[in-house]
Parts: sequence; C-alpha cells; structure tokens
Amino acid sequence: MDYVLQLILNGLFVGTFYALVALGYSMVYGIIKLLNFAHGDIYMLGGFVGFTLLTVGSGALAGGGGIIALVVVMALAMVATGLVGLVLERVAYRPLRSAPRLSVLITAVGASFALEYGVAVGYGPNPRAYPVTVGGGAVHLLGARITYAQLVMMAIAVILMFGLDTLVRRTRSGRAMRAISQDPRACLLMGVNVDQVISRTFFIGSALAGAAGVMAGAYYGKIDFLMGFIIGLKAFTAAVIGGIGNIRGAVLGAIVLGLLESFGTAWLGSQWRDVFAFAFLILFLTVRPTGLLGERVTERV
Amino acid sequence: MSTPHRRAAVGAAALSLALALGACGGGLKEGSSSNDSGEDAKGDIKLGMLTPLSGSSAAIGPYMKNGAQLAVDEINAAGGVDGRKLALTVEDEACDPKTAAAGAAKLVTAGINVSVGGYCSSATLPTLSIFGKADIPMLIPAANSADLLKSKLKNVFLVNGTGIQQSQAASDFIKSKGSKAVALLDDNTSYSKDITTRTADNLKNAGVAVANKQSVTAGESDYSGAVTAVMRAKADFVYWTGYYQEGGLLIKQLRSAGYKGDIMVADGAVDKKLVEIAGQANAQGTYATMTQTPATIPGGDAWIAKYKKAFGSDPGPYSPQAYDAVRIAAEAVKEAKGSTKGEDLITALEGIDGFQIFSGKLKFTPEHTLSEGGFDILVVKGDDFALNS
Repeated sequence: MDYVLQLILNGLFVGTFYALVALGYSMVYGIIKLLNFAHGDIYMLGGFVGFTLLTVGSGALAGGGGIIALVVVMALAMVATGLVGLVLERVAYRPLRSAPRLSVLITAVGASFALEYGVAVGYGPNPRAYPVTVGGGAVHLLGARITYAQLVMMAIAVILMFGLDTLVRRTRSGRAMRAISQDPRACLLMGVNVDQVISRTFFIGSALAGAAGVMAGAYYGKIDFLMGFIIGLKAFTAAVIGGIGNIRGAVLGAIVLGLLESFGTAWLGSQWRDVFAFAFLILFLTVRPTGLLGERVTERV
Repeated sequence: MSTPHRRAAVGAAALSLALALGACGGGLKEGSSSNDSGEDAKGDIKLGMLTPLSGSSAAIGPYMKNGAQLAVDEINAAGGVDGRKLALTVEDEACDPKTAAAGAAKLVTAGINVSVGGYCSSATLPTLSIFGKADIPMLIPAANSADLLKSKLKNVFLVNGTGIQQSQAASDFIKSKGSKAVALLDDNTSYSKDITTRTADNLKNAGVAVANKQSVTAGESDYSGAVTAVMRAKADFVYWTGYYQEGGLLIKQLRSAGYKGDIMVADGAVDKKLVEIAGQANAQGTYATMTQTPATIPGGDAWIAKYKKAFGSDPGPYSPQAYDAVRIAAEAVKEAKGSTKGEDLITALEGIDGFQIFSGKLKFTPEHTLSEGGFDILVVKGDDFALNS
C-alpha cells in the first residue's frame, strides 16, 4: 500500500511540472490554433533567468530565507519569460497569422532551436548547477515519503494554476480570451483588441512555463540548454490527453500523464517511461482526439 | 559483420550516406582520394578528431580537443616527427551516429592519416567502417563499448580501457564491500548497458545478488521511478554507468528518498559537475570506477599545470586519453619510418611495446585494446573525486 502511495505521490509531483508547461501550450492553441513548439524552451529559459538572478543576487539574498528569495526570483523570471513570449509572438508568429498552418508550425520549431542554441552560446553547453536548492527534510505519509521541497513546489504550482483559472473565468480579459478562442473574427468586429489579447495569452503562458523552469532548477538542482525539449513534448502530450485548448483539461491531462508514467515505469521498468507516455499520445489522438475534457469540434462553415 | 544485426544495418545506412557525401566532396577536390595522402610524405601529418561539440555531451568536446592539441603542440615544438609537423582537424560528433558519420566523411575527404577521436560509442560505431574503407587507423581515446570490437576491424584501436576491464574492477570492488543486494542502473546506451550487463554477470558468478537492474532515459530531470524501484528492492549498493548529468540527479534523488547505502558511478560520470549537481553533502563518499587520470598518477600534477597554462582551464574527462592518442599516433609514424600508409601504421601500432602513456606501458592486445588498462577506484572527497585509499 505504501508503495502504491509512493507511486501516486511521484506521479502527482511530476504531473505538476507538466501542468505548468501544458497550460501555456493549451492556452495558445486554444486561442490561435498554434502548436507553440518553442514553449518547452521558454521553460528552459525560465530556468536560466532564475539561475542568473540567483547568481548575481546571491550576496543580497544571503541573509534572507531560501524560499522567499526563490519566490522573488521566480516572479522576476516570470516577467522575463513572459516578455520573451511576447517578443516571440510578435516576431515569429504574428507576421504569419494568415499563412498556412504548416508555415507557423515550422517557424515554431525554428524558434525552439534558436532559443536552445542561443542559450548554449550564451551560457555554454555545460549543465549548470543551481546556486540555491530547496533541501530540508521529508515527511512520512502512510509509509510514503515526500520532501518539504516537493510540498512547497506543489503548493506554488497549485497557487499559480488557481490564479490562472480565476483570471480566465472571472475577469474581463479572461472573457476576451475565451471569446477569441470561439471566433476571432467576430471578436474583432465587436471591438475586442485581438492582437493585444493574443499577446497577453503568450505572456501568461510563457510566465507559467518560466515559473516551472525556476522550480525545476531549484528542485532538481541542474539546468541545461536542452532541458525544455522532452518536457515540451510531455506537456504537449498532457495537453492532448486533457483536451488541447482546454485549460482545466491541461492540468488534468498533466496529472494523468504523471500518474501513467509513474505506474507504467513501476510495472515495466524505467526504460519504458517514454514509450509508455508517447504511446498514450498516439492512443488519445486516434481514439479520443478531443481528449478527456476537450470541447466537441464543430465545423464552422 | 556476417550476422544481419540491426546495428550493422544502421551503420550501413549511415555509411552509404557518408559515402555519398564523401563522393561529393571528393568531386570538388578533383578526385584527390584519401589513399593518396600516404604517398605525400613531405606535408603535415594530418590527424582528425571526432568529438561532441554540440548536443548533450558538448561539454566533453573541448576537453578532448585541448588534450590532443597539447600533444600536437608539444611534438611540433620538439621538431615534429621526422621533421614533419602534426596538424589536427576537429569535427563535431554530437554524440549522434548521423552527425558522426558525416563528420567522418569530412575528415576522410580532408585526407587525414590517423583518427584520434571518438567519444560516444553509439556515434563512433558507424565511423569505424568509414575510416576502415579509407585505410585510416583509429586511436579511439574515449569510446570503449565492446560493440566497437565486435566486427574485429583491424584499423580500430581503443586507447581507453574497455567495458570488460571496467566491469571487472566494479564487480571486484562491490564484492569487497560485502554488498547483499546490488542495483545496477544504466542510461540505455551501448556503452552504459554493456557495463551493467557484464557487471551483473560477474556478480552472479561471484555469488552477489543483483536486486535491481534497470535503464533510465537520459536527459530527463525526474528519476523518481528508478529511485522508488531501488528503494523497494532494498538495495545496499547502487552502480550507475551513464554520464554525470543524470548521475548527479540520481544521487541527489536517491539521498533525498532516504537511501543510505553506497553509490558508485562509472567513468562517464567522473566529473566535478557530478558533485555540484548532486550537492556536496549528498555526493560525499560516492565511489567511481575510472581509468587512471593525471590526478591519480605520479607526475600528473605537472601535466595538469601544462594544460592549464596552454588553455587557461583545467583538463577534464578524456583530456589525457586524447593527449595519449596523439602521442601514440606520432610514435606509430616514427615506428613506420615516416610512412603514413594505413597498413604500415597498423603494423607499427601492433608492434609498439612499452611506450609510456598515462595508463601504463602501452602494448595493444590482439583485440586492439590496452593490455594494461588499470581502472582505479575513486571516491568523492569535498568537491571532487580523489583516489580511494
């Protein structure tokens, strides 16, 4: 029983990272039907921005508590990655908005490589060890073990997700986002500033990925310029499982994917982890392309 | 090559690609095939090196390149080999078979006489026959999977100890620690898996129980699945045979999951960065099986100082082996009376006996591996690995 509980905790923890990245994927797809393959690299960038801030500010932070410093750095990194997301949209995606879907997809892959190897040029190809790591003890819960660091990470992620959900469901700009995902042209005619809302979506999505990047750096203790690649694909899988375009679906999909991986590896062995995860991507795309919570796709004439 | 092996098929595909590329390049140079270079006895002796300059192992490239360059500069400063200078050309291997095959074809087109590169075994594999067809001997400084020796190509020489020697050292040490349940973890690459498989066999023969053996995916951050399996198997000794990035994460995650037993890593994970990633407190006392390094041999300090003076940074993994590969190549040309023909060099290499390199006195076995490939057991002390006493 404690073993099963441990597997569930492992799955939930990994799932929260997937969720933070999957949200951005899903939001952008929901609003402009673009698979932003550079999104995983925004996560990586968040890790590096946090690394830089922590390295530069380590003297000033020395006295303060680790967690508070980390939250401040995370907030700054979120602003920075959000701005990068804005620029990315403005430079790489907006000029192609009326171009065929394939062109934008290819630009997205291009943007992904540009970010990866741009960081490799700037920071070098070596992995970097994070200057601050969340350590501390662990609590035992019915025989399973969870560290304080994991609890803090999960709490931060839940707060961020809750904030996003409130923003999208209860505010004016959230309503504009939802409206645009329904029909951008009608929104334009109704006087909604579509470009601005799309920019805002990119900002929020990228900021969440950036936060996940800082959290990954602080928890795992290592960042490198390719760290966004696999998690980008996993987040995409999570978004598809949950129903791409659906925000709550992205979180659900990420948790489901985390649990599937955790139990899948326990059952078949670690080398099967990715086989398992991506087999589920194929399964969902063929059997239930709208995902668990996806809206029914209605043909617009 | 006689068995229709899947890896051979991949190699063949890469080879045909490389040949196509090579043919294009050759055409541009008006058909100056590499075989001609052997008769060109006056020009520079050209050495080629494939090493990862991009991709996940890009950190290693400069270590190997600088190690080789140091040897080239020293030999040239001492007048070269029979008055001829050495020249080093470096191409990217990216730890990727396709990139490596293309890089090998480039080096062949550039007319190199000896190859002194090869880091990732999986990427080095398709280059063996590319260099073989061009009659170019290979002194491989780092890649050491037993797969490299399977097709018994006569141009292939391993300057690093092989998985056979390393797994022997590992299982001897594990046995001496009196472990009851061993967990063997690899990253599913040919290099890493070869060592865990051989170590498992050795341990079984020695009567030590292997409680858990699994492969993880490299390049991920979360290894909680593997860690949970190790904990569940109640292992008291973990041996990781992949590279240092994942190694550091595994050590950290094992320790924070409450693992109290011993941890040992293989040579690919021996790097200061492992300690940095795992955190000093977690990494203390971690053992490693490692080919002898300048830090562990007499007179090594002087070599490190030389390297530092030339490149402004410390030598890293495989700097010494790359340095040795160049020196062995120069020695072979000398022994072959200045000939740079492939056959002459191979005969000369097989004849070398007692040439001093870092791992001891050089004498290649009939399989073209080191006869004296001493593996040391290192242990993490402070922020780096030191010899275990």
